[in-house]
Amino acid sequence: MILITGGAFQGKKAYAMEHFHLTDDDFVKGTDCAEAELFQAKAVADFQEYVRRVLKKGGDASTLAEKLYTENPEILVITNELGSGVIPADPFDRQWREASGRAACDLAKYAAQVHRVVCGIGTGIKG
Amino acid sequence: MLAVITGGSGSGKSEYAESVATSLARRDGLPLYYIATMRPFGEEGKRRVERHRKLRFGKGFETIECYVNLKGQTLPEKGVVLLECMSNLTANEMFEPEGAGNNTVEAVLAGVAALKDRCAHLVIVTNDVFSDGITYDEVTKLYQERLGTINRRIAAEADEATEVVCGIPLRLKK
Repeated sequence: MILITGGAFQGKKAYAMEHFHLTDDDFVKGTDCAEAELFQAKAVADFQEYVRRVLKKGGDASTLAEKLYTENPEILVITNELGSGVIPADPFDRQWREASGRAACDLAKYAAQVHRVVCGIGTGIKG
Repeated sequence: MLAVITGGSGSGKSEYAESVATSLARRDGLPLYYIATMRPFGEEGKRRVERHRKLRFGKGFETIECYVNLKGQTLPEKGVVLLECMSNLTANEMFEPEGAGNNTVEAVLAGVAALKDRCAHLVIVTNDVFSDGITYDEVTKLYQERLGTINRRIAAEADEATEVVCGIPLRLKK
């Protein structure tokens, strides 16, 4: 597993495509992919949106990283860093922010490599 | 020594800070204190506190609750202190009736200085609340400015400063 993180609009996907020789077609989107697609994909973008959908359905996000690693250990995961702000007023936003942060920590544990992208520039922070 | 650890919400900064504090305590054979600053409001607050308690369980921390006036906080012995977290302490000083109000920055920094003198090693967890790009109301902006000032001042004093990303420590200083 490879994890790419960073804030929104930092060029994470472009970095991933260039660095790991992927094309647009290799990606499923966290905004709309089914679980089965996620488990077969080469790469997923916006994983934080997948976490949000799981929570919206009342699901348990705390086991997501483990499940994903078990089902698809070679996947490249892109997820937004979104915890660096003032505590959201909305309870669901707080829950999502927390859950997606925890999921990213878990993914980073499983990942052989973690890269963080800022201003389009990626830095390897693990592996 | 003084270590400052920052990161966003859910970044794994608490777990990392605990590992720093526990390894210092083990190395020097010192008692471990956890200064908790978050008042557990409502069910969600209780759950958060409970989660942190579980993380610390069995690691040998004695928990001390301190919501305002850190300067007045005494310690049983000169040990290793994990202070978590500056974002709560700053909010408490600003918004609670018994808090320092407009003198929040001075009160928090004086508290940190006093605490540093009373312990062998101080590990401070703070919070990155500055990068969501949202323009907040004046009071929230003032809170951000005050916490930002405190963060800069304690990091300037610190022997080491670390940002935690996805549970991975990235050294900012030293």
